[in-house]
Amino acid sequence: MSVAKEFTKGLWKEVPPFRLVLGLCPTLAVTTAAENGLGMGMATTFVLVCSNVIVSLLRKVIPGKVRIAAFIVVIASFVVIVELMMQAYFYPLYKILGIFIPLIVVNCIILGRAEAFASKNTIIPSIADGLGMGLGFTFSLTFLGGIREIFGNGTLFGHAIMGASFQPFSVLLKAPGAFVCLGLILGAMNLISARK
Amino acid sequence: MRELVKMVVVLTVICAASGFVLSYVNEVTQAPREYQLLKYVQEPSIKAVLRSYSNDPIKDRIELTMGTNEKGEPIKKTVFPAKENGKVVAIAYGSAATGYHGPIDVMVGIDPEGKLTGISVMTHSETPGLGARVVEPAFTEQFAGLELSGQLNVAAQGGKISAVSGATLSSNGVVNAVRSALEVFPEVKKEVF
Repeated sequence: MSVAKEFTKGLWKEVPPFRLVLGLCPTLAVTTAAENGLGMGMATTFVLVCSNVIVSLLRKVIPGKVRIAAFIVVIASFVVIVELMMQAYFYPLYKILGIFIPLIVVNCIILGRAEAFASKNTIIPSIADGLGMGLGFTFSLTFLGGIREIFGNGTLFGHAIMGASFQPFSVLLKAPGAFVCLGLILGAMNLISARK
Repeated sequence: MRELVKMVVVLTVICAASGFVLSYVNEVTQAPREYQLLKYVQEPSIKAVLRSYSNDPIKDRIELTMGTNEKGEPIKKTVFPAKENGKVVAIAYGSAATGYHGPIDVMVGIDPEGKLTGISVMTHSETPGLGARVVEPAFTEQFAGLELSGQLNVAAQGGKISAVSGATLSSNGVVNAVRSALEVFPEVKKEVF
């Protein structure tokens, strides 16, 4: 497969939360606003690309029997780096995302890509794979966050867009609203794919 | 046997490298992390107690060591100066005293003459709706302009502060925190102005 194909598969064909239905914990929890989804997606993308690079570089050195342990150490290190950086330069976002930053460690997209892709491929396709999957995840979270923010709060990225007479569906900002939105998006995506 | 050795060596090297990188990142981000924490946690209080300034009190903060506590460890105090045209016009620092349920942390702003420019209650665990009302401006605004004297007391003890009704101990806690802040002011003043 070409590098371009590795990159684009994460954007539609295998887009993590909606197609693989992976990484749902942050997908449901932090997408109360588009901005939060974007921040979480960027943090995850960074970890995903960096861990793919390291895993791909070390794939011949790491013995098969301890590979998962080695991958987790690599992933966890990058997550701590993201956490410290966010604390130092994006404190308000760090406060909002809170516990979900350290929980990127157990996001199965990242371990999944390390195990299924980076440990079997060279560095360039691994970067493309990580970037594609990461951006797919970021778009998905931003999109879901955007929908919940528009209808749940009448704003998008903090700007009011629905006019003063709009009555927000505040249930969308709660956990049930996250499930409903996710279900509708999954359904819509299946519908579009079935037509093709 | 060779496989076992390889597993141990590879994992050890990966963990060691990871530890090395993380301690480096930790060190590099230490100062900005401290700054952000102060900015977002304490700046609202600092803004409330210092009337006007043209500098960044958090960036210009001064760390003072003042005496030692019961265990013989040095007591550190962080002082936030408010400057205008490069001159310190007031300073703010934290202080604490016991209220009804636990410690009350107060930020006080003091001008060079030792008069209060304002106070703000940062954290407390007083009773909601009763003692917790000491955070309200109606209570805290009474402190501005006072100095360390008999006036800086609740009305029941001959002072000018009307306590929150039903919450004498909480009100006294705030007054005590402010008084103890003013008590160390001469010492702080020597270092700052």
